[in-house]
Amino acid sequence: MTAVPASNRPRYAPIAPDPRARAQLLVMDHDCPGDGAFAPGVNLADFPERWGIVAHALVLPEPLAGAGVKSFRSSAHLLALLAHRLAAETMGLRLYVVGSEPFVWDVARVATEAGMGRDEMQLFAMGRPVRRVSCVHCRHINPGVTTTLVTCAGCGVTLTVRDHFSRAHNTWMGVQCDAEAPGELPAVEDLIA
Amino acid sequence: MIDGQTLTLRVADAVLVAPGLRRLHLVAADGARLPPAAPGAHITLTLPTGHNSYTLVSADPEAGYEMIVRRTLQSRGGSRYIHDTLATGDVIAATVPHNLFALHSQARKHLLIAGGIGVTPMLAFIAHLRRSPAPFKVPFELHQLAAPAETSVFEALLDARPGERVHVHAGEGYFDFTALLAAQPLGTHLYTCGPAGMMNAVEAAAAALGWPDSHVHREDFGASGGEPFTLRLAKSGIDIAVARDQTMLAAIEAAGVDAPSLCRGGACGVCMVPVLDGLPEHRDHYLTSDERASSRLVMPCVSRSRSATLVLDL
Repeated sequence: MTAVPASNRPRYAPIAPDPRARAQLLVMDHDCPGDGAFAPGVNLADFPERWGIVAHALVLPEPLAGAGVKSFRSSAHLLALLAHRLAAETMGLRLYVVGSEPFVWDVARVATEAGMGRDEMQLFAMGRPVRRVSCVHCRHINPGVTTTLVTCAGCGVTLTVRDHFSRAHNTWMGVQCDAEAPGELPAVEDLIA
Repeated sequence: MIDGQTLTLRVADAVLVAPGLRRLHLVAADGARLPPAAPGAHITLTLPTGHNSYTLVSADPEAGYEMIVRRTLQSRGGSRYIHDTLATGDVIAATVPHNLFALHSQARKHLLIAGGIGVTPMLAFIAHLRRSPAPFKVPFELHQLAAPAETSVFEALLDARPGERVHVHAGEGYFDFTALLAAQPLGTHLYTCGPAGMMNAVEAAAAALGWPDSHVHREDFGASGGEPFTLRLAKSGIDIAVARDQTMLAAIEAAGVDAPSLCRGGACGVCMVPVLDGLPEHRDHYLTSDERASSRLVMPCVSRSRSATLVLDL
Protein backbone atom coordinates (compact mmCIF):
# COMPACT_ATOMS: atom_id res chain seq x y z
CA MET A 1 0.00 0.00 0.00
CA THR A 2 1.33 3.42 -0.91
CA ALA A 3 0.42 6.11 1.56
CA VAL A 4 -0.93 9.23 -0.14
CA PRO A 5 0.94 12.13 1.45
CA ALA A 6 -1.23 14.77 3.08
CA SER A 7 -1.48 18.02 1.16
CA ASN A 8 -2.67 21.49 2.04
CA ARG A 9 -2.04 22.77 -1.48
CA PRO A 10 -4.16 25.87 -2.16
CA ARG A 11 -6.95 25.49 -4.68
CA TYR A 12 -7.93 28.45 -6.81
CA ALA A 13 -11.29 29.24 -8.37
CA PRO A 14 -11.48 31.43 -11.48
CA ILE A 15 -12.01 35.11 -10.65
CA ALA A 16 -15.60 36.38 -10.69
CA PRO A 17 -16.30 39.96 -9.55
CA ASP A 18 -18.45 40.23 -6.42
CA PRO A 19 -21.61 42.12 -7.48
CA ARG A 20 -22.04 43.47 -3.95
CA ALA A 21 -18.66 45.21 -3.80
CA ARG A 22 -18.45 48.99 -3.62
CA ALA A 23 -15.10 49.02 -5.43
CA GLN A 24 -12.96 46.41 -7.20
CA LEU A 25 -9.24 46.25 -7.77
CA LEU A 26 -7.58 43.68 -10.02
CA VAL A 27 -3.87 43.11 -9.45
CA MET A 28 -1.76 41.08 -11.88
CA ASP A 29 1.93 40.29 -12.20
CA HIS A 30 1.82 40.59 -15.97
CA ASP A 31 -0.03 42.57 -18.58
CA CYS A 32 -2.77 40.26 -19.69
CA PRO A 33 -3.75 37.11 -17.81
CA GLY A 34 -4.02 33.94 -19.82
CA ASP A 35 -7.08 31.79 -20.34
CA GLY A 36 -8.72 30.24 -17.31
CA ALA A 37 -8.06 33.06 -14.85
CA PHE A 38 -11.60 34.40 -15.16
CA ALA A 39 -14.96 32.73 -14.72
CA PRO A 40 -17.02 32.32 -17.94
CA GLY A 41 -18.35 35.65 -19.18
CA VAL A 42 -15.85 37.69 -17.15
CA ASN A 43 -13.06 39.63 -18.84
CA LEU A 44 -10.60 42.43 -18.18
CA ALA A 45 -13.15 45.11 -19.05
CA ASP A 46 -15.12 44.12 -15.92
CA PHE A 47 -12.30 45.61 -13.84
CA PRO A 48 -11.99 49.33 -14.50
CA GLU A 49 -9.19 49.54 -11.96
CA ARG A 50 -6.26 47.27 -12.83
CA TRP A 51 -2.73 47.20 -11.54
CA GLY A 52 -0.13 45.26 -13.49
CA ILE A 53 3.61 44.84 -13.77
CA VAL A 54 5.47 45.93 -16.90
CA ALA A 55 9.09 45.23 -16.10
CA HIS A 56 10.53 48.09 -18.10
CA ALA A 57 12.56 51.15 -17.21
CA LEU A 58 10.18 53.32 -19.22
CA VAL A 59 7.49 52.80 -16.57
CA LEU A 60 7.66 56.03 -14.62
CA PRO A 61 6.24 56.73 -11.18
CA GLU A 62 2.88 58.45 -11.42
CA PRO A 63 0.40 59.87 -8.92
CA LEU A 64 -1.93 57.29 -7.37
CA ALA A 65 -5.14 59.27 -7.75
CA GLY A 66 -8.23 57.79 -9.38
CA ALA A 67 -9.21 54.45 -10.88
CA GLY A 68 -7.77 53.19 -14.13
CA VAL A 69 -5.01 50.99 -15.45
CA LYS A 70 -1.65 51.40 -13.74
CA SER A 71 1.70 49.84 -14.50
CA PHE A 72 4.56 49.14 -12.16
CA ARG A 73 8.20 48.30 -12.74
CA SER A 74 8.33 45.36 -10.36
CA SER A 75 6.29 43.43 -7.85
CA ALA A 76 8.20 45.21 -5.05
CA HIS A 77 7.10 48.54 -6.55
CA LEU A 78 3.51 47.35 -6.83
CA LEU A 79 3.36 45.85 -3.32
CA ALA A 80 4.72 49.01 -1.71
CA LEU A 81 2.12 51.21 -3.38
CA LEU A 82 -0.65 48.67 -2.68
CA ALA A 83 0.10 48.85 1.05
CA HIS A 84 -0.03 52.64 0.81
CA ARG A 85 -3.31 52.53 -1.12
CA LEU A 86 -5.02 50.03 1.24
CA ALA A 87 -4.06 52.03 4.33
CA ALA A 88 -6.34 54.80 3.05
CA GLU A 89 -9.10 52.47 1.77
CA THR A 90 -12.52 52.02 3.38
CA MET A 91 -14.75 48.94 3.78
CA GLY A 92 -16.42 47.56 0.67
CA LEU A 93 -13.34 46.94 -1.51
CA ARG A 94 -12.73 43.57 -3.16
CA LEU A 95 -9.28 42.59 -4.30
CA TYR A 96 -8.67 40.14 -7.17
CA VAL A 97 -5.18 38.78 -7.72
CA VAL A 98 -3.92 36.86 -10.75
CA GLY A 99 -0.35 35.74 -11.27
CA SER A 100 2.36 33.37 -10.18
CA GLU A 101 1.77 31.71 -6.83
CA PRO A 102 4.49 33.62 -4.91
CA PHE A 103 3.17 36.93 -6.25
CA VAL A 104 -0.47 36.11 -5.47
CA TRP A 105 0.34 35.28 -1.85
CA ASP A 106 2.59 38.34 -1.50
CA VAL A 107 -0.41 40.47 -2.45
CA ALA A 108 -2.61 38.47 -0.04
CA ARG A 109 -0.14 39.23 2.76
CA VAL A 110 -0.23 42.98 2.06
CA ALA A 111 -4.05 42.87 1.98
CA THR A 112 -4.23 40.87 5.22
CA GLU A 113 -1.87 43.29 6.93
CA ALA A 114 -4.19 46.09 5.81
CA GLY A 115 -7.09 44.33 7.60
CA MET A 116 -8.76 42.54 4.68
CA GLY A 117 -10.26 39.09 5.27
CA ARG A 118 -10.20 36.10 2.94
CA ASP A 119 -13.79 36.79 1.86
CA GLU A 120 -12.69 40.20 0.57
CA MET A 121 -10.12 38.82 -1.86
CA GLN A 122 -10.00 36.25 -4.64
CA LEU A 123 -6.70 34.68 -5.60
CA PHE A 124 -5.84 32.83 -8.78
CA ALA A 125 -2.36 31.39 -9.25
CA MET A 126 -1.44 30.42 -12.79
CA GLY A 127 1.44 29.47 -14.99
CA ARG A 128 4.20 26.92 -14.57
CA PRO A 129 4.77 26.24 -10.84
CA VAL A 130 7.54 28.44 -9.48
CA ARG A 131 7.86 27.94 -5.74
CA ARG A 132 9.63 29.50 -2.85
CA VAL A 133 10.98 26.59 -0.87
CA SER A 134 11.84 27.00 2.78
CA CYS A 135 14.52 24.65 4.12
CA VAL A 136 13.32 23.18 7.42
CA HIS A 137 16.95 22.56 8.44
CA CYS A 138 18.52 26.00 7.97
CA ARG A 139 15.46 28.27 7.38
CA HIS A 140 16.89 29.52 4.09
CA ILE A 141 14.25 30.41 1.52
CA ASN A 142 15.09 29.24 -1.99
CA PRO A 143 13.16 31.23 -4.59
CA GLY A 144 12.20 30.17 -8.10
CA VAL A 145 12.13 26.40 -7.58
CA THR A 146 10.57 24.49 -10.51
CA THR A 147 11.72 20.94 -9.78
CA THR A 148 10.91 18.27 -7.19
CA LEU A 149 14.48 18.31 -5.85
CA VAL A 150 16.58 21.37 -5.18
CA THR A 151 19.93 22.00 -3.54
CA CYS A 152 19.44 24.38 -0.61
CA ALA A 153 21.45 27.54 -1.16
CA GLY A 154 21.68 27.92 2.61
CA CYS A 155 23.08 24.58 3.84
CA GLY A 156 23.74 22.61 0.67
CA VAL A 157 21.51 19.59 1.35
CA THR A 158 19.27 18.24 -1.36
CA LEU A 159 15.70 19.15 -0.50
CA THR A 160 12.60 17.40 -1.66
CA VAL A 161 9.70 19.84 -2.07
CA ARG A 162 6.86 18.57 0.11
CA ASP A 163 3.25 19.20 -0.83
CA HIS A 164 2.89 21.53 2.13
CA PHE A 165 2.32 25.27 1.67
CA SER A 166 2.60 27.93 4.37
CA ARG A 167 0.06 30.67 3.65
CA ALA A 168 1.64 32.81 6.36
CA HIS A 169 5.19 32.58 4.99
CA ASN A 170 4.32 32.08 1.33
CA THR A 171 6.73 29.15 1.10
CA TRP A 172 6.63 25.42 0.41
CA MET A 173 8.31 23.02 2.80
CA GLY A 174 11.67 21.59 1.77
CA VAL A 175 13.05 18.55 3.66
CA GLN A 176 16.38 16.79 3.16
CA CYS A 177 15.78 14.06 0.62
CA ASP A 178 18.52 11.57 1.50
CA ALA A 179 18.55 11.83 5.27
CA GLU A 180 17.82 8.10 5.75
CA ALA A 181 20.14 6.82 3.03
CA PRO A 182 22.80 9.44 2.19
CA GLY A 183 23.37 9.82 -1.52
CA GLU A 184 20.24 7.92 -2.56
CA LEU A 185 18.26 10.42 -4.62
CA PRO A 186 15.23 9.83 -6.79
CA ALA A 187 15.10 11.25 -10.30
CA VAL A 188 14.48 14.98 -10.53
CA GLU A 189 11.15 15.93 -12.11
CA ASP A 190 9.40 19.17 -12.92
CA LEU A 191 6.91 20.36 -10.31
CA ILE A 192 3.32 20.08 -11.47
CA ALA A 193 0.59 22.55 -10.57
CA MET B 1 -35.63 22.04 28.14
CA ILE B 2 -32.81 24.53 27.89
CA ASP B 3 -29.49 23.06 26.84
CA GLY B 4 -26.48 23.07 29.05
CA GLN B 5 -25.67 23.25 32.69
CA THR B 6 -27.94 25.13 35.06
CA LEU B 7 -26.80 27.73 37.58
CA THR B 8 -28.59 28.69 40.76
CA LEU B 9 -28.23 32.43 41.24
CA ARG B 10 -29.15 34.75 44.07
CA VAL B 11 -30.13 38.37 43.52
CA ALA B 12 -27.45 40.30 45.43
CA ASP B 13 -28.75 43.67 44.40
CA ALA B 14 -31.49 45.08 42.19
CA VAL B 15 -31.50 48.83 41.69
CA LEU B 16 -33.38 51.16 39.41
CA VAL B 17 -30.67 52.98 37.41
CA ALA B 18 -33.21 55.09 35.49
CA PRO B 19 -36.97 55.02 35.03
CA GLY B 20 -37.77 51.58 33.56
CA LEU B 21 -34.16 50.31 33.72
CA ARG B 22 -33.25 47.91 36.50
CA ARG B 23 -29.74 46.63 37.10
CA LEU B 24 -29.52 43.13 38.56
CA HIS B 25 -26.44 41.85 40.30
CA LEU B 26 -26.50 38.07 40.50
CA VAL B 27 -24.14 35.82 42.44
CA ALA B 28 -23.98 32.05 42.87
CA ALA B 29 -26.52 31.01 45.53
CA ASP B 30 -23.92 28.74 47.18
CA GLY B 31 -21.19 31.40 47.04
CA ALA B 32 -19.09 29.40 44.55
CA ARG B 33 -17.28 30.85 41.56
CA LEU B 34 -19.42 31.42 38.49
CA PRO B 35 -18.33 30.37 35.00
CA PRO B 36 -16.49 33.21 33.24
CA ALA B 37 -17.99 34.79 30.13
CA ALA B 38 -16.53 36.84 27.29
CA PRO B 39 -18.18 40.19 26.49
CA GLY B 40 -21.37 39.75 24.47
CA ALA B 41 -22.47 36.61 26.35
CA HIS B 42 -26.00 36.11 27.66
CA ILE B 43 -27.71 33.86 30.18
CA THR B 44 -31.28 32.61 30.13
CA LEU B 45 -33.23 33.04 33.35
CA THR B 46 -36.02 30.69 34.32
CA LEU B 47 -38.71 32.96 35.75
CA PRO B 48 -42.26 32.02 36.81
CA THR B 49 -43.38 33.77 33.59
CA GLY B 50 -41.14 31.64 31.32
CA HIS B 51 -37.57 31.76 30.01
CA ASN B 52 -35.92 35.09 29.22
CA SER B 53 -32.42 35.71 27.88
CA TYR B 54 -30.43 38.75 28.99
CA THR B 55 -27.00 39.99 27.98
CA LEU B 56 -24.38 40.16 30.71
CA VAL B 57 -23.13 43.71 31.17
CA SER B 58 -20.32 42.33 33.28
CA ALA B 59 -19.35 38.79 34.18
CA ASP B 60 -16.77 38.06 36.82
CA PRO B 61 -16.42 34.63 38.45
CA GLU B 62 -15.94 36.23 41.89
CA ALA B 63 -18.04 39.40 41.72
CA GLY B 64 -20.92 37.82 39.82
CA TYR B 65 -23.00 38.75 36.80
CA GLU B 66 -24.67 42.06 36.06
CA MET B 67 -27.50 42.76 33.66
CA ILE B 68 -29.74 45.72 32.90
CA VAL B 69 -33.39 44.96 32.18
CA ARG B 70 -35.84 47.37 30.62
CA ARG B 71 -39.46 47.17 31.68
CA THR B 72 -41.41 46.65 28.45
CA LEU B 73 -45.15 46.84 27.98
CA GLN B 74 -45.44 44.29 25.16
CA SER B 75 -43.23 41.76 26.88
CA ARG B 76 -44.08 38.18 27.69
CA GLY B 77 -44.01 39.12 31.34
CA GLY B 78 -40.33 38.50 32.13
CA SER B 79 -39.27 42.13 32.38
CA ARG B 80 -42.39 43.03 34.37
CA TYR B 81 -41.64 40.23 36.83
CA ILE B 82 -38.02 41.43 37.21
CA HIS B 83 -39.18 45.01 37.81
CA ASP B 84 -42.22 44.46 39.98
CA THR B 85 -41.69 41.20 41.87
CA LEU B 86 -38.07 40.08 41.94
CA ALA B 87 -36.31 41.22 45.12
CA THR B 88 -32.86 41.09 46.67
CA GLY B 89 -32.23 37.62 48.11
CA ASP B 90 -34.47 35.80 45.62
CA VAL B 91 -33.01 32.68 44.03
CA ILE B 92 -33.46 31.99 40.31
CA ALA B 93 -32.27 29.28 37.92
CA ALA B 94 -30.26 30.27 34.88
CA THR B 95 -28.21 28.70 32.11
CA VAL B 96 -24.45 29.00 32.02
CA PRO B 97 -23.36 31.93 29.79
CA HIS B 98 -23.37 31.44 26.03
CA ASN B 99 -21.89 33.88 23.57
CA LEU B 100 -23.37 34.44 20.11
CA PHE B 101 -22.21 38.05 19.85
CA ALA B 102 -18.48 38.00 20.51
CA LEU B 103 -15.95 40.63 19.47
CA HIS B 104 -14.00 39.44 16.42
CA SER B 105 -10.37 38.73 17.30
CA GLN B 106 -8.99 39.84 13.92
CA ALA B 107 -10.79 43.19 13.81
CA ARG B 108 -8.72 46.35 13.30
CA LYS B 109 -11.54 48.49 14.62
CA HIS B 110 -14.86 47.82 16.34
CA LEU B 111 -17.82 49.94 15.28
CA LEU B 112 -20.70 49.62 17.74
CA ILE B 113 -24.21 50.86 16.95
CA ALA B 114 -26.91 50.39 19.59
CA GLY B 115 -30.49 51.49 19.96
CA GLY B 116 -32.10 51.88 23.40
CA ILE B 117 -31.53 48.93 25.72
CA GLY B 118 -29.34 47.40 22.97
CA VAL B 119 -26.65 49.23 24.93
CA THR B 120 -26.17 46.19 27.21
CA PRO B 121 -23.70 44.17 25.09
CA MET B 122 -21.94 47.43 24.17
CA LEU B 123 -21.32 48.11 27.86
CA ALA B 124 -19.65 44.71 28.12
CA PHE B 125 -17.66 45.38 24.93
CA ILE B 126 -16.33 48.79 25.91
CA ALA B 127 -15.45 47.65 29.43
CA HIS B 128 -13.38 44.88 27.83
CA LEU B 129 -11.82 47.17 25.20
CA ARG B 130 -10.91 49.78 27.82
CA ARG B 131 -9.17 47.07 29.89
CA SER B 132 -7.10 45.63 27.02
CA PRO B 133 -3.37 46.29 27.44
CA ALA B 134 -1.73 48.68 24.98
CA PRO B 135 -0.22 46.33 22.39
CA PHE B 136 -3.60 44.59 21.95
CA LYS B 137 -5.78 47.69 22.11
CA VAL B 138 -8.20 47.84 19.20
CA PRO B 139 -9.86 51.22 18.58
CA PHE B 140 -13.61 51.42 18.86
CA GLU B 141 -16.34 53.88 17.99
CA LEU B 142 -19.76 53.70 19.59
CA HIS B 143 -23.01 55.30 18.48
CA GLN B 144 -25.96 54.99 20.84
CA LEU B 145 -29.43 55.98 19.62
CA ALA B 146 -31.82 56.97 22.36
CA ALA B 147 -35.19 58.59 22.84
CA PRO B 148 -34.62 62.34 23.39
CA ALA B 149 -35.75 62.08 27.01
CA GLU B 150 -33.26 59.29 27.72
CA THR B 151 -30.00 60.63 26.26
CA SER B 152 -28.66 61.58 29.68
CA VAL B 153 -29.38 58.06 30.98
CA PHE B 154 -27.27 56.50 28.23
CA GLU B 155 -24.53 59.11 28.57
CA ALA B 156 -24.25 58.19 32.24
CA LEU B 157 -24.20 54.43 31.49
CA LEU B 158 -21.55 54.74 28.77
CA ASP B 159 -19.46 57.21 30.77
CA ALA B 160 -17.25 58.33 27.84
CA ARG B 161 -13.60 58.87 28.68
CA PRO B 162 -11.62 61.75 27.20
CA GLY B 163 -10.60 61.00 23.62
CA GLU B 164 -13.08 58.16 23.16
CA ARG B 165 -15.47 58.11 20.25
CA VAL B 166 -18.67 57.54 22.19
CA HIS B 167 -21.71 59.39 20.86
CA VAL B 168 -25.29 59.43 22.11
CA HIS B 169 -27.79 60.54 19.47
CA ALA B 170 -31.35 61.60 20.20
CA GLY B 171 -33.65 59.62 17.91
CA GLU B 172 -32.94 57.34 14.96
CA GLY B 173 -34.19 59.76 12.32
CA TYR B 174 -31.27 62.12 12.83
CA PHE B 175 -28.64 59.56 12.06
CA ASP B 176 -27.09 58.73 8.68
CA PHE B 177 -25.74 55.17 8.84
CA THR B 178 -24.45 55.33 5.26
CA ALA B 179 -22.15 58.29 5.94
CA LEU B 180 -20.79 56.57 9.05
CA LEU B 181 -20.26 53.18 7.40
CA ALA B 182 -18.70 54.69 4.25
CA ALA B 183 -15.91 56.19 6.34
CA GLN B 184 -14.74 52.98 8.04
CA PRO B 185 -11.22 51.66 7.37
CA LEU B 186 -10.51 48.15 6.08
CA GLY B 187 -10.73 45.54 8.82
CA THR B 188 -13.60 47.21 10.67
CA HIS B 189 -16.16 44.92 12.29
CA LEU B 190 -19.66 46.22 12.89
CA TYR B 191 -21.85 45.18 15.83
CA THR B 192 -25.45 46.27 16.15
CA CYS B 193 -28.04 45.64 18.82
CA GLY B 194 -31.37 47.39 19.17
CA PRO B 195 -34.82 47.50 17.61
CA ALA B 196 -35.16 45.28 14.51
CA GLY B 197 -35.93 48.28 12.28
CA MET B 198 -32.72 50.03 13.29
CA MET B 199 -30.59 46.90 12.85
CA ASN B 200 -32.15 46.22 9.44
CA ALA B 201 -31.31 49.78 8.37
CA VAL B 202 -27.71 49.36 9.57
CA GLU B 203 -27.36 46.01 7.79
CA ALA B 204 -28.89 47.39 4.59
CA ALA B 205 -26.52 50.37 4.62
CA ALA B 206 -23.54 48.05 5.17
CA ALA B 207 -24.62 45.69 2.39
CA ALA B 208 -25.15 48.59 -0.04
CA LEU B 209 -21.59 49.74 0.65
CA GLY B 210 -20.20 46.27 -0.04
CA TRP B 211 -19.40 45.20 3.52
CA PRO B 212 -18.94 41.41 3.61
CA ASP B 213 -21.45 39.59 5.85
CA SER B 214 -18.59 38.24 7.97
CA HIS B 215 -17.90 41.77 9.25
CA VAL B 216 -21.48 42.56 10.30
CA HIS B 217 -22.78 41.15 13.60
CA ARG B 218 -26.18 41.66 15.20
CA GLU B 219 -27.95 40.63 18.37
CA ASP B 220 -31.74 40.52 18.51
CA PHE B 221 -33.81 40.96 21.61
CA GLY B 222 -35.94 38.04 20.50
CA ALA B 223 -39.49 37.75 19.40
CA SER B 224 -42.22 40.28 19.32
CA GLY B 225 -45.78 39.20 18.72
CA GLY B 226 -47.90 38.64 15.64
CA GLU B 227 -51.15 37.06 14.50
CA PRO B 228 -52.31 34.03 16.51
CA PHE B 229 -52.13 30.63 14.78
CA THR B 230 -52.42 26.92 15.48
CA LEU B 231 -49.38 24.72 15.93
CA ARG B 232 -49.77 20.99 15.24
CA LEU B 233 -47.06 18.79 16.72
CA ALA B 234 -47.08 15.67 14.53
CA LYS B 235 -45.08 13.32 16.78
CA SER B 236 -46.83 14.37 19.99
CA GLY B 237 -50.18 14.39 18.19
CA ILE B 238 -51.42 17.63 19.74
CA ASP B 239 -52.66 21.01 18.57
CA ILE B 240 -51.53 24.14 20.42
CA ALA B 241 -52.86 27.65 20.03
CA VAL B 242 -50.07 30.25 19.79
CA ALA B 243 -51.35 33.53 21.18
CA ARG B 244 -50.63 36.99 19.79
CA ASP B 245 -47.99 37.78 22.41
CA GLN B 246 -46.55 34.29 22.77
CA THR B 247 -43.67 32.61 20.94
CA MET B 248 -44.02 29.17 19.38
CA LEU B 249 -41.31 27.91 21.71
CA ALA B 250 -43.11 29.23 24.79
CA ALA B 251 -46.36 27.63 23.57
CA ILE B 252 -44.59 24.28 23.03
CA GLU B 253 -43.05 24.46 26.50
CA ALA B 254 -46.36 25.45 28.06
CA ALA B 255 -47.89 22.33 26.49
CA GLY B 256 -45.28 20.22 28.28
CA VAL B 257 -43.41 19.09 25.14
CA ASP B 258 -39.63 18.85 25.47
CA ALA B 259 -37.98 21.15 22.92
CA PRO B 260 -34.27 22.00 23.09
CA SER B 261 -33.41 25.69 23.00
CA LEU B 262 -30.56 27.99 23.88
CA CYS B 263 -30.46 31.67 22.94
CA ARG B 264 -34.19 32.23 22.38
CA GLY B 265 -33.26 35.00 19.98
CA GLY B 266 -33.04 33.26 16.60
CA ALA B 267 -29.26 33.18 16.56
CA CYS B 268 -27.93 29.83 17.78
CA GLY B 269 -29.96 27.27 15.81
CA VAL B 270 -30.45 24.86 18.72
CA CYS B 271 -34.27 24.99 18.66
CA MET B 272 -34.54 24.39 14.89
CA VAL B 273 -37.45 22.08 13.99
CA PRO B 274 -38.48 20.49 10.65
CA VAL B 275 -41.72 21.83 9.19
CA LEU B 276 -44.07 19.21 7.74
CA ASP B 277 -46.79 21.51 6.47
CA GLY B 278 -47.69 25.19 6.45
CA LEU B 279 -45.71 28.31 5.67
CA PRO B 280 -43.40 29.68 8.38
CA GLU B 281 -42.69 33.39 8.79
CA HIS B 282 -38.95 33.41 9.42
CA ARG B 283 -37.64 35.95 11.91
CA ASP B 284 -34.36 34.27 12.83
CA HIS B 285 -30.81 35.04 11.71
CA TYR B 286 -29.62 31.46 11.55
CA LEU B 287 -31.16 29.88 8.46
CA THR B 288 -29.69 30.64 5.03
CA SER B 289 -31.89 32.31 2.42
CA ASP B 290 -32.20 28.95 0.62
CA GLU B 291 -33.34 27.24 3.81
CA ARG B 292 -35.90 29.98 4.43
CA ALA B 293 -37.26 29.69 0.91
CA SER B 294 -37.62 25.91 1.23
CA SER B 295 -39.94 26.37 4.28
CA ARG B 296 -38.76 23.03 5.63
CA LEU B 297 -37.13 24.29 8.82
CA VAL B 298 -38.18 26.85 11.39
CA MET B 299 -36.77 28.37 14.57
CA PRO B 300 -39.68 28.37 17.02
CA CYS B 301 -38.03 30.83 19.44
CA VAL B 302 -38.69 33.84 17.22
CA SER B 303 -40.45 32.78 14.01
CA ARG B 304 -44.20 32.57 13.48
CA SER B 305 -46.57 31.22 10.83
CA ARG B 306 -48.05 32.79 7.71
CA SER B 307 -50.54 29.95 7.37
CA ALA B 308 -53.36 29.44 9.91
CA THR B 309 -51.81 26.10 10.90
CA LEU B 310 -48.17 25.10 11.04
CA VAL B 311 -47.29 21.40 11.38
CA LEU B 312 -43.96 20.60 13.06
CA ASP B 313 -42.09 17.30 13.32
CA LEU B 314 -42.02 17.40 17.11
